[in-house]
Amino acid sequence: MDTQDAIIQALVSMADVLVEDFDVVDMLTGLTRKCVDLLGISAAGVMIADPSNVLHVIASSSEEMRVLELFELQSEQGPCLDAYHSGESVHHQMLLTSPATTWPLFTQAALDAGFHAVSALPLRLRDTTIGALNLFTTGRMPMDTGGAVVARAFADLATISIVQHRSTDQLQRINDQLSYALNSRILIEQAKGIIAERAKVDLQEAFNRLRRYTRNNNLRLTDVAAAAVAGTLDSTAWTPRATAPTPPLPRSGPSRPA
Amino acid sequence: MPGKDLEWAAAEIAENAGGLPQPGRVGEVCRDALHVTGAGLMLISGDGVQGSLCTTDPVSTLIEELQYSLGEGPCLDAYRQDQVVAEPDLSNPATSRWPAFTYAALRGGAHAVFSLPLKTGGLRLGSLDLYMDRPASLSVDQIADGIVLAGLAAGWVMAAQGATTPGALSDILTTGDFHLAVHNAAGMVSVQLGVPVREALLLLRGHAFAQGVALNTTAQDVITGRLRFG
Repeated sequence: MDTQDAIIQALVSMADVLVEDFDVVDMLTGLTRKCVDLLGISAAGVMIADPSNVLHVIASSSEEMRVLELFELQSEQGPCLDAYHSGESVHHQMLLTSPATTWPLFTQAALDAGFHAVSALPLRLRDTTIGALNLFTTGRMPMDTGGAVVARAFADLATISIVQHRSTDQLQRINDQLSYALNSRILIEQAKGIIAERAKVDLQEAFNRLRRYTRNNNLRLTDVAAAAVAGTLDSTAWTPRATAPTPPLPRSGPSRPA
Repeated sequence: MPGKDLEWAAAEIAENAGGLPQPGRVGEVCRDALHVTGAGLMLISGDGVQGSLCTTDPVSTLIEELQYSLGEGPCLDAYRQDQVVAEPDLSNPATSRWPAFTYAALRGGAHAVFSLPLKTGGLRLGSLDLYMDRPASLSVDQIADGIVLAGLAAGWVMAAQGATTPGALSDILTTGDFHLAVHNAAGMVSVQLGVPVREALLLLRGHAFAQGVALNTTAQDVITGRLRFG
């Protein structure tokens, strides 16, 4: 598999978070690993802000990376914090021990850990920045343009997964309601066709009869339509004056043993 | 710049003071952010219900309609196989995985087709359908943006349906084309032939394919009585 395929596969698998399994930490840990595998960098880490805007280290590709990120938070300086607070990316910065360096404490710690360059991307959707993705390299070569684009896509996808993540129950419930509503609509159209053909009337009249039968027998339209499609609906449903109280959904045999 | 486009797209698809955007707008945003000729959103429910939420132009309408009529094509594959489907040159005979679809799509003006699963939180809702009017590949960043956009569009579907009374279909989604006439016709044909509705649907599809017409055309013929089975 070439790099391009690997990247696409990684993006698809990130989008493929199973509902019952969704775990933000797992997803972000996977993200840091994919960054290291595919972007030609040495280490990656993610920080996420809590509701009071305090950043926390959530995932790291290695233990030394985690220690360095914790240090960044303690010393209150570093690229991840800058990306989070500004909402803008920090592009490949070489780490040099000069007096003019932006983050003196962080730079020293990063150099001690063997890193020479760093990038940071905000995890941002619309106006909300929820955290940042940190990318570190031990070499001095900057990430290529393609790598930077893919890093951006990784960060965007991670952000969407987190921001859009409702409770699994809630999502599943909405999806069930969507399926039910679509099915119901289609069953009703099929039932209209069945009644139109049986009663030799047009579709509008078939619908009127379906509704009238449903109302008169205090049933649900979807249930009556489903019975029509299943072939278990009483013929009074499509005869013109179906006002006599009839057993709602007659079955072929007796409803209880004699 | 792809990053900027994606940010723009995210803002366009988001709920704003006027509520959620209409399906047509979401389709246009996907088309413009991904720099393709046209885009469409296909909703597919686990029970085999299939509907077109929006298409940006007649060719993308044709692409979705063909897949409904023929039961094959890129967005069905993207949905069923849960992966990105890319066909950069439909006229290349070596890569014709959907013979009937390919022939008709090419004739209609689509030369490259792409489809991405529409999913959020692991739930698959359908596909985002893209096409180009000339042979073309999507770059890695276009695909990456496409995956992100498909996630945003899936979130939009969920937001729309989540704001609706249980049991009903969201007003925003109800403007989609759910091929209702085909279901009317299937009900009628099931009575004409004394077969289950599911089977009647297959017969209608087969008839449309044999006649080389859209399934909806065959359905209209049944409804108006021009065509009878049995």
